[in-house]
Amino acid sequence: MKTRFPYAYLWLVYAFLYIPILVVIIFSFNNARFSTDWHGFTLKWYELLFKNQPLIDAAYNSLKVAVCSASLATVMGSLAALCIHRYKFAGKKILHGCIYMLTISPDIVMGIALLIFFVSINIELGFTTLLIAHVTLAMPFVTLTILARLAAFNENLIEAARDLGASEVKSFLYVLLPLTAPAVAAGWLLSFTLSLDDVLISFFVTGPSFEILPLKIYSMVRLGVKPDINALSAIMFSLTLIIVILAQLLASPKKKYRQKD
Amino acid sequence: MKKKVVLLALAFSFVFMGLPSTAGWLSANALAAEKNNGKVIVYNWSEYIPQEVLDEFTKETGVEVVYSTYETNDSMYAKIKLLRGKGYDLVCPSTYYLHLMIEEGLFKKFDHSKLSNIVNLDPQLMNPSYDPGNEYSIPYMWGSVGLLINTAYVKPENARSFKDLLRPEYKGKIILTDDMRDCYGMAMHAVGKSANSTDPDDIKAGYEFLKALHPSVVTFDVSAVKQAFISEEVIIGTSWNGDALVAQQEKPELEFVYPEDGALVWVDSFAMPVGAENVENAHKFVNFLLRPEIAKKCQEEYMYSTPNLKTLDLLSAEKRANRTLVPTGDELKNAEYLLNYGGKTLQIYKNYWEKARSGL
Amino acid sequence: MRENNGFRKFSISSVWLWIGVFALVPNLALFLVSFLDRGEVDYFIPAFTLDNYLRLLDPAFVNIFLKSMYLAGVSTLSCLLIGYPFAYLMAGAGKRIRPWLMLLVVIPFWTNSLIRTYALVIILKNQGLINKLMLSLGLAEGSFSLMYNDIAVFVGLTYTLLPFMILPLYASIEKLDRRLLDAAQDLGASPLRSFWHVTLPLTLPGIVAGCILVFLPALGTFYIPEILGGAKVMLLGSFIKNQFLVARDWPLGASASMIMTGILIFMALVYRLVNRQADGSAQAGQNAGAA
Repeated sequence: MKTRFPYAYLWLVYAFLYIPILVVIIFSFNNARFSTDWHGFTLKWYELLFKNQPLIDAAYNSLKVAVCSASLATVMGSLAALCIHRYKFAGKKILHGCIYMLTISPDIVMGIALLIFFVSINIELGFTTLLIAHVTLAMPFVTLTILARLAAFNENLIEAARDLGASEVKSFLYVLLPLTAPAVAAGWLLSFTLSLDDVLISFFVTGPSFEILPLKIYSMVRLGVKPDINALSAIMFSLTLIIVILAQLLASPKKKYRQKD
Repeated sequence: MKKKVVLLALAFSFVFMGLPSTAGWLSANALAAEKNNGKVIVYNWSEYIPQEVLDEFTKETGVEVVYSTYETNDSMYAKIKLLRGKGYDLVCPSTYYLHLMIEEGLFKKFDHSKLSNIVNLDPQLMNPSYDPGNEYSIPYMWGSVGLLINTAYVKPENARSFKDLLRPEYKGKIILTDDMRDCYGMAMHAVGKSANSTDPDDIKAGYEFLKALHPSVVTFDVSAVKQAFISEEVIIGTSWNGDALVAQQEKPELEFVYPEDGALVWVDSFAMPVGAENVENAHKFVNFLLRPEIAKKCQEEYMYSTPNLKTLDLLSAEKRANRTLVPTGDELKNAEYLLNYGGKTLQIYKNYWEKARSGL
Repeated sequence: MRENNGFRKFSISSVWLWIGVFALVPNLALFLVSFLDRGEVDYFIPAFTLDNYLRLLDPAFVNIFLKSMYLAGVSTLSCLLIGYPFAYLMAGAGKRIRPWLMLLVVIPFWTNSLIRTYALVIILKNQGLINKLMLSLGLAEGSFSLMYNDIAVFVGLTYTLLPFMILPLYASIEKLDRRLLDAAQDLGASPLRSFWHVTLPLTLPGIVAGCILVFLPALGTFYIPEILGGAKVMLLGSFIKNQFLVARDWPLGASASMIMTGILIFMALVYRLVNRQADGSAQAGQNAGAA
């Protein structure tokens, strides 16, 4: 009883998170243009999707930016957390404050400000500018997550490592990073999610040669979002899930025996 | 163990990154042979021109079409303005933004001698007050904001004009657009004023109407209008005629009404930003879209009205008889274009709008 | 030694450079713009005024502001109430399975949020999935809609922002030394008491971080409340966006977002205070554990 109830709660919340996605998948087979009711099974949206090369390209571009920006944001965000947690330097409090300020800046402000900046330094709008914008957007999420874990964390460990002759870089890589690993991973995942879903900032900082998925989806609102988007979402979701399950199977073959540790 | 995970992650990311780019490369190669006459960068709503039409243009002319998207006129305007008109060869603003952007000098003139198919366009939609002689703008699609009703609950005779939204039986069943110009324009027509009025008293009258209507409204939305009607969350409200036609396919009891107090007409027209670099190709592209059979393809994909008279002849008799799609003078009585008004007037509208939207 | 100094210098300067260019400068510019006048053609003209802040005293804005705070606040609270036990249980799962549990939390959010919101519409609408489920279970009669009210907004916002609560919480709870709890229980503390006096203070930084990462984006979102809640009152996110795009009134948009920054500074101060206390009680906790 004591062990089962908590897991039931986990399942319940997972159900809350996944039911809407199941609905998206089911309705990607719905034979109606505006899928609020069930009108029979069809595969036509998948057919339409595979003919829609620009849409697939946009999805691919989105993934590319999301992977790159999440990784870069994680590096920058961890460095920022390290600086704030560990070093004393001029303007540290201001830096800390700026990181909070980044979370509050309305997207529209960040988008317009970055566009003005990019135009003034005459950089071509596209992948690079999107990357910079998404890193900036996601970085504070990484930093704040790591700082929350570092709070009340035992400072002596790093000092001990330093005393034992580890360099600053090594103590960062071998002591600090492993200790904050869950926060770093969480930060990466949040950054990836933010990047995949951002509309307003991306709108301003991307150029005509680099279309991304969320922009395409939002600009369909006026004419009606077609269910081939549902089909695309369903495929992307299933692929991710398959990859995760495969990775899980391959990475921990002994899982069964270890569940209790 | 950790290394294994990292390796796996790397392997998957390579597969992830590799696959679509190969696919893209293959399809790009197929078209590459034809793309040797430069390009044209089109900035428009997502999939507002069928892919088939774009491909056909590339095949015929060797000009690559780079198609980029925006989701509102407002954001398109901000971006073009911040870029000082550089980076895009064609944009497709609706009436009042076209007006504003022409006034602000953000567009170049078209060379009509390169647009031989312009003769196909409906003279009624040509030569508008905001662009005499169509020097800057070539109409692509047009439509209206009117009333959409569910005839299972609403008697058409009780929904003849925007004013009728105030009837008590619609309380809690109304949807309004959350676009300020469309919604406020509707209110101005309901109180018998012009949607472009700059008289503060008129604007106040429109506000009074919106304020009175607010308790009856269940949602302000543009992104899920069809869904709301189809699931009967709402039974009456503002809608575009194209949206109405699409929603009717799933719910035949829906009916679009051109209100007696006047629909709001918009025309999406192509225009060339001042910084456009591929001017020649932009002309070619616009001229291509003006061909009757090409305009027919565009019309069939999106249920809006075409300004191309020759295309009308190609449509089925059933379509031509559809008054929602092809309104006549009767339907468009009292109808009006939305025009730009100056910044000062915009502020007055905006202040009232923010109040009205919140029911104050 | 040189290498050490180099790393320190590198990290501080690269972080400063990034933040300075992409956060400090734009926000300082925004601060300046909030004191300027709007122009007829240009977005703003260089004339000093306090008018933009005075205009925010208008009842329409106060109403928008309060309603937004309320919706964002309740959504944050519901994220916390759902997310905390969840993160706590996650952190208690097997060591190997934890990363996968974490991954499973975010995967649904890699589907576009507009698409997910439409899916929520299908669930909540009149004759939607919940309606049909209740009918078939005999729990309800006739059709009813769960859309267009504050509850639908809470559901939508909670759904969209839950991972931004769970993940920071998890990262912070995972390091919790459960021996402290055992010690507290050995010393006769009831589970509730040990939760209140040991677990909660030690995980407070995570709670605050999660709340900030949920509350602020919740204030800024616009289409979720509009589609699900009907947006009978305009919300802050739409308001600011409209000033910049529709009304072309950058100074007012700037001053409104300065107000948001003001709230943020206030929250950051609270966070610092809480952090300091957590530091104190962590020390106390560890001392107690050692004793």
